[in-house]
Amino acid sequence: MDTTPFNAWKLVSLSPLPVWALVLLGVGVALGVGLAAWGVRREPARARRWSLWGLRLGAGLAALFFLLEPGIRNLQVARMKNRLAVLVDRSASMNFPVEPGGVTRSAEAAAFLESAAPGLSALQDRYAVEVYGFDPELAPVTAESLTKEPARAGTSDLLSALRSAGAGAQGAKKLGGVLLLSDGADNVELANGAVGRARAALADLGVPVSTFVVGQEALKDLAVERVKVDDFAFVRNSLTVEVEVHGRGFSGQDVPVVLKQEGKVVASKSVRFESSDDVKPIGFTFTPDQTGRFVYTVSVPVYPDEAVGDNNTRSFVLKVIRDRVRVLLVVGKPSWDERFLRGLLRQDANVDMVSFYILRTMSDDPGVVSQERELSLIPFPMEEIFDTKLDTFDVVIFQNFGYSDSSLSIAQYERNLERYVHNGGAMVMIGGDSVLGEGRANMPTLYEALPLEGAGPANVDSFKARLTPEGMRHPVTAMASGGTSTEAAWAELPAIPGANLTRAKPGATVLMDHPFLTSDGKNAPLVAVWDYGRGRAMVLATDASWYWAFTAHKEGSPSRTYDRFWGNALRWLVRDPDLTTLNVTADPPSVEPGRPVGVVVASRTSDYQPAQDAQVRVELVSVDTQKPVAVQTGQTGPDGVVRLEFPPPAPGPYKLVATAKKGETDLGRGEDAVAVRAVGPELSDASVRPELMEQIAKYTGGKTYRLPMSGLPDDVPLLDPPVVEVGRAKDKPLWDRWYYLVALVGLLGAEWFLRRRFGYV
Amino acid sequence: MPVRPLSRRHLLFGSAALVPLLAGRASAFGEKSRFIPAVARHGGRWDARLSGLRRISWEVQRRTSVEVLPDARPFALSSPEIFEYPFLYLGADGGFPPFSTAEVENLRRYLTFGGFLLADANDGSDGDGFDASFRREIARVLPRSPLTPVPSTHVVFKSFFLLDSAPGRVLNKPQLEAASVGKRAAVMYSQNDLAGAWSRGELGDYEFDVTPGGEPQRELAVRLGINLCMYALCLDYKDDAVHLPLILNKRR
Repeated sequence: MDTTPFNAWKLVSLSPLPVWALVLLGVGVALGVGLAAWGVRREPARARRWSLWGLRLGAGLAALFFLLEPGIRNLQVARMKNRLAVLVDRSASMNFPVEPGGVTRSAEAAAFLESAAPGLSALQDRYAVEVYGFDPELAPVTAESLTKEPARAGTSDLLSALRSAGAGAQGAKKLGGVLLLSDGADNVELANGAVGRARAALADLGVPVSTFVVGQEALKDLAVERVKVDDFAFVRNSLTVEVEVHGRGFSGQDVPVVLKQEGKVVASKSVRFESSDDVKPIGFTFTPDQTGRFVYTVSVPVYPDEAVGDNNTRSFVLKVIRDRVRVLLVVGKPSWDERFLRGLLRQDANVDMVSFYILRTMSDDPGVVSQERELSLIPFPMEEIFDTKLDTFDVVIFQNFGYSDSSLSIAQYERNLERYVHNGGAMVMIGGDSVLGEGRANMPTLYEALPLEGAGPANVDSFKARLTPEGMRHPVTAMASGGTSTEAAWAELPAIPGANLTRAKPGATVLMDHPFLTSDGKNAPLVAVWDYGRGRAMVLATDASWYWAFTAHKEGSPSRTYDRFWGNALRWLVRDPDLTTLNVTADPPSVEPGRPVGVVVASRTSDYQPAQDAQVRVELVSVDTQKPVAVQTGQTGPDGVVRLEFPPPAPGPYKLVATAKKGETDLGRGEDAVAVRAVGPELSDASVRPELMEQIAKYTGGKTYRLPMSGLPDDVPLLDPPVVEVGRAKDKPLWDRWYYLVALVGLLGAEWFLRRRFGYV
Repeated sequence: MPVRPLSRRHLLFGSAALVPLLAGRASAFGEKSRFIPAVARHGGRWDARLSGLRRISWEVQRRTSVEVLPDARPFALSSPEIFEYPFLYLGADGGFPPFSTAEVENLRRYLTFGGFLLADANDGSDGDGFDASFRREIARVLPRSPLTPVPSTHVVFKSFFLLDSAPGRVLNKPQLEAASVGKRAAVMYSQNDLAGAWSRGELGDYEFDVTPGGEPQRELAVRLGINLCMYALCLDYKDDAVHLPLILNKRR
């Protein structure tokens, strides 16, 4: 039995009659009263008239009383509390200080919560106070947890948090108000302010949101806020990186902005901030000189009084690819070797060739009166091709080119060419009677970049070129899958008439050599390659390789060895990724702070089949220190692929260097780049946005306050709890008392008596 | 076009000076990489212009940077050795009997894989003699590549000298005809006896009069010969974009 006392009552009708019957009876009573009043309307004595009217009206009311059977309903009621949500921003920007050298924004929010605790307690009778942190998922927080646990969320999404708080109204308690504690640094729906749909969404919340701005506006901070660049670029083609640098408190100051590729400065500019809160766009235009994937970093200096230093750099990964291989072919004199190489390169859709041939030297007499009118020759544009435009080429081929006379000597450009190779270019030197120890040409600086050097007079005896063991495996001379097929392909080719006598430099890889001609006691090299600096170089010590292209067909058996040889050579020279047996790919190439670094390694055997069960080892090498910071190992699956993951490393540029082995067989080495960002979008901007906080309050019917403040303000707009709930009820009839009946009879009797007395009956 | 005729004295002097040069360079390094004209031996009078070939080689050596060996090498068309000489001259004074199947196949392979054939009607024939024989045989060799007139815009007219006509000893046809393999003209055919205009006798005298243009026409024929050699060696080099503005300017 419920013993809870009743705490409310109300007057009710206890009549069992239906409403329509009560209405009819009520009408009947009203008519009765009306007719009685009509009957005495001519009574001259006002007192009599009013007495009769009053008695009849009283009788009517008494009759209604019995009809309606009034009673007292005792009620047990409970007032339902509204909810009051206190939302505290837990995005990472809340770790910024409220002012230079000050406490964090989270700490200031915690201090406010502590000081507002009495005020919130005072609301406990009407509001259920709930304190949440949002990231943007709501989770209960306390002042203590705000201080102890740093804010981590990568985004600030105020609207989402407000929606989540409002969603609680679907239950029994209705949201009566929100107190929002944030720096206002929204970077999702309200990133552009409370406009358009975002504004409508705020109004739709239907609850006053009072905002408490955390942090001071007058911060001093530099931030590389936005970097806009394509995912990939074409090698030796210029591209532009668009950067936005945000400066607060740097009015009138010049700030240097630097773009680096893995530690090497690519470009730098200076920006001047016009106001105390200014965003300056900058464009960096540069030309990548190597294919591959590289980490680029845009940075501004960190000044001592800056609020945040982590947002002064921003890294991105750029994949540099080639559209077509741009080849510069420089020919000393027209020859059959040049003719067949040109024919091959011209028909290759992947090659964009620019060529210059010396068709006439100063000692040649064309026999014309006017060279300008009768010859098609153009001046040899040495400066343009060996200086201005040199870096636009992927591969430079010198074919028997070597002149000592001043009009054709390239002596002053030798250093350019050597640097071009050293800095990532590719060079091929094809032999002949003018180069590699022949002729009068001597290009000592350029020859530094080549793997072979002249060792004596050329030998004109016919010979069949011989593959070296390295040549059987090397991508340049490997003709098919397997050394036997490669050897057979080369063996089918005809003998060639003569070769330059050269010797290999230390570090050179000789792919083909002469079967009987020797230098320094070894077979004279014919084809050799090496890596020179960041570039690559190849020497073909003969001008008779056209025999492999043309004479090879004299027996009627078509051979494509010459085509493949040059195709392979170009691909190797420009570091075609498909020529590597180990393919390494960072997944993804840019990693948000605190996220793991993934890498996918695809391994192939020397015949380019998937290498199953290969042992893969990947080092995560810091580009800044050039030292590995972590190592992961794994085993490839049937498709030759394995995915590995590194724990979240410190921010910065990294290289992923992978090696693989299958049994004792080395499957090669590959690498890729990955940028671990110092700051996500959340931390790139340390600004406080009071205007957004004001807009939120304005459009929801709340008010805006600024921290610090002690205690909860008295005028925080809140919705009153509107809902009263009925618990238990008990009816107590009022009509079933004898004296009510006596009163009714008395009233009717008194009226009857007076009517008779006044002469109406 | 102004032309400077070559006197006998100049020729002898020049030739004498050239002999050691040619001999010395030839033995220095891989002589077969040099420009050496091969001559097709067939059943007709194939050897009527050997001196003309020697002469044009000499002119190529003198006027350009190309290294040559001047003596033409005769080969049977069926010989695999022609694959060591990518420039082949085929001429005759009068008609010649049909090629054998082996000759046809060998020549087809030669042209398909990069060889160049200069056909020259030494008899200046048109519809008979060499012309009839050659058209008959080249149709067998390259049945899918008919002879077509070479337009004046073709690179062969600017491969070294800027030319606008293609005369020889005679001027039967103002232009050449060509049979192409892909974009490359593998066969160039002159009905004007080009080599006749080049030929000199033992004492250095020109062997044939040139008509109707006389010595200026001979010079043009020499220049065309050099352009043909350059085309065989450099293909469409002079069609590269880098040359076009200058050449267009010169042709104005």
